This record gives sequence, structure tokens and C-alpha cells, in this order.
Amino acid sequence: MTPGALLLLAAGALMAGIVSGPWFARSWLTFTLAGAIAGLAAALSVLFGAADWEWWSAFSLGGELVHLRLDGVSALFLALLCVVGGAGAVYAREYWSEETYPASAPRGHLWWSGLVLSMGLVLVSSNGLHFLIGWELFTVCAYFLITLDRQRREVRAAGWLYLVASHTGTVFLFAFFSTLAARTGSWDLHPMQDQAALTPLFWLALAGFGVKAGVFPLHVWLPSAHANAPSHVSAILSGVAIKMGIYGIVRFSGWLPVPAEAGGVVIGIGATSALLGIAFAFAQNDLKRLLAYCSVENIGVILIGVGGALLAVTNGDAPWGRLALAGALLHVWNHGAFKALLFFGAGSVLHATGTREMSKLGGLWRTMPWTTGLFLLGSVAVSSLPPLNGFVSEWLVYLGLFDAATSKGTAAWAAMPAAIMLAMAGAIAMASFAKAGAMIFLGSPRTRAAEQAHECGNFMRAPMLALAGVCVVIGLAPILIWPLVTRAVGSWRAVEIAPEVPAPLITLGLVHVALTILVATAAAWLWRKAHATDLRRSPTWDCGYAMPAVRMQYTSASFAGIVSGWFRWVLQPERKLRRPHGNFPAEAIRLERVPETVLERIIGPVSVAIMRGSTSVRRLQHGRLQFYILYLVVGLIGLGVLVMLGGAQ
Amino acid sequence: MNESLNFLIGLAMGLNLLALGSSRLPAVIRAMSLQGMALGLMPLLMEDHFDWRVSLVAVATVAGKGFVIPMLLRRAMRAAQIDREMEPFIGFVPSLLLGAGGTIAAVALARQLPLLPEHAGSLLVPGALASVLTGFVLLIGRAKAISQVCGYLILENGIYLFGLLLIKSTPLLVEAGILLDLTVGVFVIGIIVDRIQRAFDSLDTRKLTTLRE
Amino acid sequence: MILILDVLLHLAIWLLLAPLLPGIINKVKAWVAGRRGPPVLQLYYDLAKLWRKGVVLSTLASPGFVIGPAVGWIAVLGAAMLLPLGPAGAVLSFRGDVLLMVYLLALARFCTAWAAMETGSAFEGMGAAREVSYAVLTEAAIIAAVLSLSVQSGSTSLVAMLAPAAGAGAMLLAAGLFTVLLAENCRVPFDDPNTHLELTMIHEVMVLDHSGPPLAVILHGAAIKLLFFAVLLTEAVLPLGKLSPAAAAGVLLAGVMVVTVGVGLVESLLARLAFRRVPLLLTTAFLLCLFALLMAWKGGAE
Repeated sequence: MTPGALLLLAAGALMAGIVSGPWFARSWLTFTLAGAIAGLAAALSVLFGAADWEWWSAFSLGGELVHLRLDGVSALFLALLCVVGGAGAVYAREYWSEETYPASAPRGHLWWSGLVLSMGLVLVSSNGLHFLIGWELFTVCAYFLITLDRQRREVRAAGWLYLVASHTGTVFLFAFFSTLAARTGSWDLHPMQDQAALTPLFWLALAGFGVKAGVFPLHVWLPSAHANAPSHVSAILSGVAIKMGIYGIVRFSGWLPVPAEAGGVVIGIGATSALLGIAFAFAQNDLKRLLAYCSVENIGVILIGVGGALLAVTNGDAPWGRLALAGALLHVWNHGAFKALLFFGAGSVLHATGTREMSKLGGLWRTMPWTTGLFLLGSVAVSSLPPLNGFVSEWLVYLGLFDAATSKGTAAWAAMPAAIMLAMAGAIAMASFAKAGAMIFLGSPRTRAAEQAHECGNFMRAPMLALAGVCVVIGLAPILIWPLVTRAVGSWRAVEIAPEVPAPLITLGLVHVALTILVATAAAWLWRKAHATDLRRSPTWDCGYAMPAVRMQYTSASFAGIVSGWFRWVLQPERKLRRPHGNFPAEAIRLERVPETVLERIIGPVSVAIMRGSTSVRRLQHGRLQFYILYLVVGLIGLGVLVMLGGAQ
Repeated sequence: MNESLNFLIGLAMGLNLLALGSSRLPAVIRAMSLQGMALGLMPLLMEDHFDWRVSLVAVATVAGKGFVIPMLLRRAMRAAQIDREMEPFIGFVPSLLLGAGGTIAAVALARQLPLLPEHAGSLLVPGALASVLTGFVLLIGRAKAISQVCGYLILENGIYLFGLLLIKSTPLLVEAGILLDLTVGVFVIGIIVDRIQRAFDSLDTRKLTTLRE
Repeated sequence: MILILDVLLHLAIWLLLAPLLPGIINKVKAWVAGRRGPPVLQLYYDLAKLWRKGVVLSTLASPGFVIGPAVGWIAVLGAAMLLPLGPAGAVLSFRGDVLLMVYLLALARFCTAWAAMETGSAFEGMGAAREVSYAVLTEAAIIAAVLSLSVQSGSTSLVAMLAPAAGAGAMLLAAGLFTVLLAENCRVPFDDPNTHLELTMIHEVMVLDHSGPPLAVILHGAAIKLLFFAVLLTEAVLPLGKLSPAAAAGVLLAGVMVVTVGVGLVESLLARLAFRRVPLLLTTAFLLCLFALLMAWKGGAE
């Protein structure tokens, strides 16, 4: 079947899913899965085929002819959307089932299919107007999914914040697309690098898509939305929805001429997002907020790669740009896979214990072995440690940066700091996930809820296993996915340069395989050796302390204390400290909480000031007719003066 | 020639960072005096042929900055019984990063400046800028009066480096005069510090704000 | 066949020689203090003894408590296999292997921290927190260092990067990498391998609850890591690639010895730093590597 037919099938199935969702849960799942599989097949057939798929229709929507296109870049994102969309649907079947949530689960089905469909529309539409329509639909669907559990106040607040932030971004996109249409005379989107007049539009696109992607100072909506949404929704938000922002940046930096400074700026934004995002993540005590801030970091990593590619464009199309872009696009995929896996894992923990606070969990490995193992796998992947997929993509980004640095041009000035910041972000990411995994799954349970946890069922486990499989396969055999990535890189800019396999990916894959085998052998060997000799179990030694208590365990905040101290200037933690006094101190308290600093310290006060300004203007509107007539007269006189002054010239 | 000059300036830059990063007053004084000695040697390296006046100034600088001033400062510390801890306003790691960033920026900036071709390859200008910046960071970021003096002296070292650019045209007498002023200044400060200590029992500049009016 | 022999040779060098280094350090320390000190081969005896002993597991520990050390050991060994051994070269060399090396060390760190957290002990939590936090700065320093080598040599493969000398920034790089070595291997002034005051330790406190074969694996891994950094430091600073194979091997051996003795001397002459001073020293190490990078960059541009 052609990609067109498959896409039609996918759209039909998803429509059927929307219609059947509220009433027939089982058929909804079938339809959504069918849609996801058909969409995946369409994306893969384009990625593995040579030709792009393009379709001009005689049918017009909003006065514009429908023009669809599926090329390497959009197919890569579409494939990810279908994988996470399908996995999330299966997961929701148990996680947000009709039995537990009779009111919201049916709604959830509808909006889920709608979200997948509208994101697909954004990816395939090649007309500015339809792109915007798809974008709006997708924003609204995501809003209703975030607020599924709308009885809770913080959920409504998070949804509202998301909606406001998204629309602030959409304002920029409206400006972007309408200016583009005005300058080119058509809403149609296609490569137009030769029109130098369009160059400044890149900044509008960067701002608009940057809000959706959640780059550092614009990320304010991201943590609360991800934390308060149901976990399968967080997974698709973090795995795919924020990638739509990346899609926009990649797409329009490829199709439009880019300013010379773009590369440096994007790398700078990326490096800042990576480092500060992960610093915030490490300081969080709420598991899902930690994951959300970690998404900010990963978006930063992706943008470093994209920035490297843009830098290369202004440096005579250097080959390291392609390498960095390949890394970035692969990281889009990888992050989608492991972050969805981690959010599913977090959902599983939340489902079992009812809390997201890491300091209330602990010791879950006993009751939830599957979740523990899969979360650990996701943690290794997200910390970009070999031999999993996260390392492969970061390795490609690093290679691009190192090559840019060795080229010794001006690009090195951007590449060297970016590489160092990427390394620091990587180290903090490792620390964050060592903390998260250890706090939740290791030690002894800190509360009753953690003690009475239970393992998740098959519907939740299967999608996690599938995503873990994706992580392992990309990690062990990156060569399998390389053609897809090069295809996407090739269709990024119209200048076709066949990207040879510059990176010895085969060797890396073999090393990963060897490493896996060695690790498994060594682990089994040591395990048997330890159990062969006499093995005794006893309480944790703890330097001979005889009565270890649950509350003596290290907590998440203390684990992060050292690094949060270094980043105190940006984290701005709130402290509550009561020191012990006297010979028999009664109670001492030390509480530390990292607020949503950018939101509470910058955007909050600024909006309050704006509100205050606007309220003072509102005083003009008081309902007295005489004054309104006075305004009219003043306005008329003002206009008259203006006209007279203008006429005098 | 240029190599060894650059080496000395590099050393001076390193000592800047050392002064920013160290938490003890004696270490800062030592860094400062070493820097002064390194700078003192530079005029000798810059002159192609032997000039007795230049060597006299060099010897005077090395003696003044390397021995006399540090000695005066140490004596003041001893006399006023100043604690050797630095008490920073700006933490050591941030000041170190500021200094390093400033040094890199100075190197980058110096490439943009329209310099004489003979100074193009040398680190004189970046070294001077970096020292001035270090001096300012120390002046702003440290609490004690003595550390302020050290900051001022490092700043002066930076200005001296700038002066080396013009060594051919500035009368050496001016240099010598500055050096003399400095020494007298530090001498006077030593006495004042002692007096303040006796009068107020503290040398913390934070507390000196109560002296206004 | 030759490949297998090569691998075996490397394995033998890394596995068998590594436990010598802590012995030499202890000998140097004893010599400075005027004591006789433990024999140079002490760690071999300890390892053999631990390997035969039984295991005591905390009741809280999951299988990860035993598997973690094994994975960490393999990761460190893998990183060592990528590092060329002077004339013997590396087991495997490809473009970008330097990053794999850095991240394998990170994997080892993740495993140690994970295993430490298994016990639910506050002491071990403290050690793990310190280990992963200080790693942020050492990782920045290491990346700056390898970036400078990469800029210097125009390559991202370790064999090519480590062959020439580090050039103008060699002294800076040596000082920076030596500090990183001390921090990564938890030596004085960052940590004191001899102390038994749990509150002040990093690495030692993380392995408090380990015993028997897993502890042996951890100790052996730590020895490999020490040798690894000593070799890396020597090769980064000295131009081994320009020497004849025999001379290169000799120089490498001498360099490793100098580094080891240096660690011993530092350990004898310096006191452990207060913890709030550690970031300052690590930042200094990072800046040293950064300036080495800038000198490499500038040196090549002219």
C-alpha cells in the first residue's frame, strides 16, 4: 500500500476511535492501535523508500487547497507519534480504566484519539493555515487530556497554565505564518531558502515553537502540566507533544533561510536548557516533576544538535553539522521512547502507592520487580549511559561538537562550551536518576502506602516492555535505525548531500553488544559466586548502629543538596530552618523546597504588574454615560488634531 | 623574548586566579607579591639592550612589590591581629569563575583591539585587563580592609601592565613615582589599619558603615 | 588469533598490574612517615582473602546489590580496554571512542551509587550523594581535557589523540588531570582511603555494607580505575607516539610510577580538605583543563 492509503486508513481508524471512544472501550483500543500501526507503516514506508509522499487535493479547507506531504523529517516524528500513541492507549486501558474512573475514562478515549490525529495532521499538512488548525486542535486536545481529573484544583491550574502558555506561543506562530503568507503570497509551505527576505521570520518560529518545546525560560507550563496529568498523558506530552516544537524548529530552519547567528543562539538556548533543566530536575522531590524537568534537559540536548547543524550551514555546509543533526533527530526518537517508559513507570508507582513524593516511597523493588527493572532500564537510557539508546544519540551530538571544535573556526567558540555543558548536564542527569531510582525502589518503605504497593497488570506492563525493547534495540543495533535518521537528515534542507555513514556506528553497536554480554556474564558469575559460599542475611550494618529506622534513610532533598547548593542562584530554594536549642532540644526542622522559580519569581510578578496596570485602566469604565460621551469628544478632538498635524506636512 | 614575556604574563594571570580562589589572607598576599615580582622582571625582558635606568626600576619594583609591600601588609596583619580567613561576599567558586571568564573574555577582546603590530602576539593587554578585573572582584567581593588593599594592589599591577605597552614613551620617572606612592600608601594603610583595630576592635568593612556621620 | 592474544595481553596487564598501585602508594606513605608499611602486594592478598569469604547481605538489598559491582567492574575494564597502552595500542579503537570511555566511567559510577543506595543506610546515601555530585565537576574537567587533546590532534580517537604531546598547555593539563585523578579515585585531599570516620568519606563509605567477593570486585575495579587515570595522565602529557616502542613502554611505565609516587606524596603531605572546599578545588581542576583547551585551540589557529 502507498503511504497515502495507509495514512487514510490511519486517519479513518482514529476517527472511528474518536466516535467509538466514549462508549466502546475495547473497540476504541482496537481502532487506535490500528490507526497507530497504519500510521507507523506509512511513516516507515516513506523513511525506507526513496521518495517523499505528496498529495494535492482539489478539496479546500478554509479557502486553501489541502496539501499534504510526508517527507523524511515529518515521517520520523510521525513514527514516534504512532509508537507512543499506541503504547499509551494500551497503557491507559488499565491505568485510567472505566472501573476506576467511570466519568473521565470515556472522555479520555475521545481526546486521546483526537490528540494523535491532530498531531498527525500537524506533521503531514503542508499549508500554513492547516498547520495552524492542526496545531490548535492538538493544543486543545492536550488541554482536555491534562485536565481529565478535573476535580482536583491543581490539575485545573496546571491545565489552565498550559493553555495560556501554549496560546502565547501560538500568537508567535500566527504572526509567523501570516507574515510568511503575506511575503510569499501563499499559505503553501515548501522549501524556500532562496528568499533572503524571509530570514528574520526564523526568530518568530523559534519563539513560537520554543514555548511548545519547553526551552528553558519558556518551560513554565511544562512541569505542572506533566506532573498533574495522568501518566499516560504525561508520557505522550513529554515523548511527543513537546517534540512538535522541535519539529517546527527543524522543519522551518530547513525550509527557510536562517540568519547567520541562528546556530549560535540555538546552541546557547540548548546548552542553557540542558544544564538548568537538569539542575531543576535534580532538586525536585516529586517524581513526575523530576521527569518533566528532565524533558527540558533533553530538549536542550536536541537543540544543541540542531544548533550545530545550523552553525554548519553558515560554515559552508560542514559535514559535522549533519552528524549533530542526526544525533538530535535520533535523540528525538530516543527521548520519546525512554521518557514515555519512565512516565509509564512513574504511573505504575503512582497507581500502586497513590503518591508522587519520592520521600514517601522506598523499597518498592520487592513488590514491583517489573516496574523496578524497567524503570532502571529507562534511567540508564536517559542518563545516556552505554549500552542503551540515549548514549548513541548523545554520542553523535558530541561527535558533531568535537568535530566543530577541531575545525577551529568560529564555530568552535559555540561548540566547546556546549560540549562541556552537555557533559555536566549528563553527569547531573545520571545523579538525578540514581536518586530517583534509589529513593523509590531501594531501601525500606518509608510509608504504609509504599509497603502495600502492588505490581501493575499486563496492560500496563506490555507497553513498558515494548518501549524498553525500542531502547535496547536502538542501543545495541543503532545501524538499524541509521538509514531512517539519514533519510530525515537528507530531507532537512533541499541541498541533498548523501550523508555517508561517518560515524562508526557498527563498531559502537558491536561494542554495546559485547558490553551487554560481558555485563550479563559477570553479573551472573558474581551472583553465583556470592551464593555459592555461605550467604547470610542481616540488617544493614550501618557502622554497627543496632536500630536502623526507616526515617534514618537518606532523603531525596539531602541527596540533591550539594548540587542544589551550587545552583542556588537560579533554583532560589525556599528554606525553613529551626535549629535545636538547649541541652534537651525538643524539635528541629529543616525544610527545603524548590519552587517553580521562573514562574513564581519572574512571570508571576510581571503578570501581576500587568494586571495592576490593566485594572487601573479599567477604572475609566464606570458606567456613567456622560463620561463616555466625554471620551468620545476627546477622542474626536484627538483624531482631528492628528489629521491636522498630518495634513500640515 | 616574547615567549618568556608571555610566560610571565601567563603566570601573573594564574596568580590572579589563585588570589581569587584562596581563602586565606597570607596566600593572597603571597600571590600578589609573586605577581609583583613577575611584573617587575618584565621591563628587563622588553628592552633589547641594557639600560641602567630600566634595570633600576625593575629592581625597585621587584623589591617594592615583592618584598616591602607584602612585609608591610604582614606586619599590619600581625599588629592588628587580623584573622587570616577571607570572609567573602562573593563566594570563592563564583569569583574564580568570574576571574576565569574575565580572563578568557580579555584574551578574546584583545584580538579585536587595534594594537601596535609589535604587541599583537603578546598577552600584555589581556593580562592587564584580567588583573584589573581581578582587582575589582577582590575589592567588591571581600569584607576585610586588608584584602581590599590586596585587591587594590592587584588592580595596580594591571595598570602597570598597561603602562608597559608605553614603556618606550613614558618617562621611567613616572613609574618610579607611582611605585613610591604605592609603598607609602601601603605603609600608611598599615598604620591606619592598626589604629582602626585599636579604636573599634574590628576591621570588617561591613561594620565600618556605622562610621558615617 | 593475534586479536585474541592482544586482548589477553591487555587483560593481563590491566587485571594483574592494577592492584600494585595502591600497594606502591601505601609504601610511599609508609616511607615518608618512617614506617615499614604493608607489603607492596598487600591488595593481592586482600583480594584473594575476600574472594574466598562468605557474603553478608543486608535484608533490604535487592539483587542489584551484587550485580551493581559486577557491572561497574566491567564498565571500568571496558574503559581501560579503550585506552591505548603505549606501544601496545588499544584493544579497540574507533572514531569517538573517547566519549564511550568517559561514559563507561559514568556507568561504573551509576552502578556503585545504585549499589550503595540498596542498603537504605544514611551513611551510604551520603557517600553516593557526594560521589555523583562531585562527578559533575570532574566530568566537566575530563571533557575539557579530552576536548583539548582532540583539538590538539584533530582527532576523536584515543590512539591518535594520545600519541602527540599536549603541547603548550601540557603543564596545565597535567595539573588538571592529576587533580581529577585524585578526586575520581577518592584520594587525599578529596577523601581519605584510610579514615574510618564515615561522615567524611566518599568512596569508602559507599562500600561499607559490601563483603566477600562483591567487595573484592569493587576494590579491584577501584585499582583498575587508578591505573587507568595514571596511564591517561601520562599519555596525555608525554609524546609517546614519537618514541620507539621500547622507549615508549619504558616512559609509560616511568610516568605511571611518577604519578603513583606523586599520589603517595600528596597523601603523606596534605590533609584532607573540608568538604565545602572540595568544589573550589574541582573548579580549579576544571579551569586548568579549560585553559589547556584554550591554549590548544589558540596554538593550532596560528
